[in-house]
Amino acid sequence: MPGWRSLFPVDLAEESHLSRREFGRFMALVAAGFTAGIGYLQLRRRPLNGASAAPGAAPLDAPAQLKVCRAEDLAPANSFLFTYRDPQDRCVLIRTASGEWRAYRQTCTHLGCAVRWDGKGLQCPCHAGYFEVEQGFPVQGPPTRPLSRLAVELRPDGWLWVTGELPRPGAPEARS
Amino acid sequence: MTPPGRRHLTGAALAVILLIVLIQAYLFETALEAVLDGQRGQLPGALAVSAALTAAALFLAFKAPGLDRRP
Repeated sequence: MPGWRSLFPVDLAEESHLSRREFGRFMALVAAGFTAGIGYLQLRRRPLNGASAAPGAAPLDAPAQLKVCRAEDLAPANSFLFTYRDPQDRCVLIRTASGEWRAYRQTCTHLGCAVRWDGKGLQCPCHAGYFEVEQGFPVQGPPTRPLSRLAVELRPDGWLWVTGELPRPGAPEARS
Repeated sequence: MTPPGRRHLTGAALAVILLIVLIQAYLFETALEAVLDGQRGQLPGALAVSAALTAAALFLAFKAPGLDRRP
């Protein structure tokens, strides 16, 4: 028997034993962690990366208009990634198969993962969410709200501009 | 006599704690979705409910001798 065993005479089975109360305390602390997380969201002043601006509020530090890319550089059913409000505000510009332009924030409305264009729709790799490309509505998986959509404008010089955030379909300000 | 904090939790108390954790997870997910969606108005209510649930869970886990099963 090693010398340290005489100093700590506890069986292995006893060492790994976790009582109900200890487990309950751990789970209660997990619950406290969730509360701390909500408190952090409450106290945080800056919006989370990729989050939408509050309804009716102007986006923080947002350029009113952003030149993204030349229209001819984007073939149908392809996408172009860009940042809009700040370097963390990742967005995707899409030319649909029918030749129309769509721009969305990449932030999934479920838990904030980055969605990606797969040629037909926008897919969230985290929880298999899927959004259709016309208006960004969720069609599969846990997301329940549409993606944040940006207005796209094709100017006479052939450049595509993002000119602001469109109201979400079904949002209160959109119904009124 | 075993001190209250060292006794076993009953299954019911543990089940309540686990239920609270599940509710907290759902609440946090809902609050995070709301923030990502720009709807911060729900946060004070969510925080109050979450704090109340956490207080109940902490009480059950640390201070509820009446819910302990006799050894």
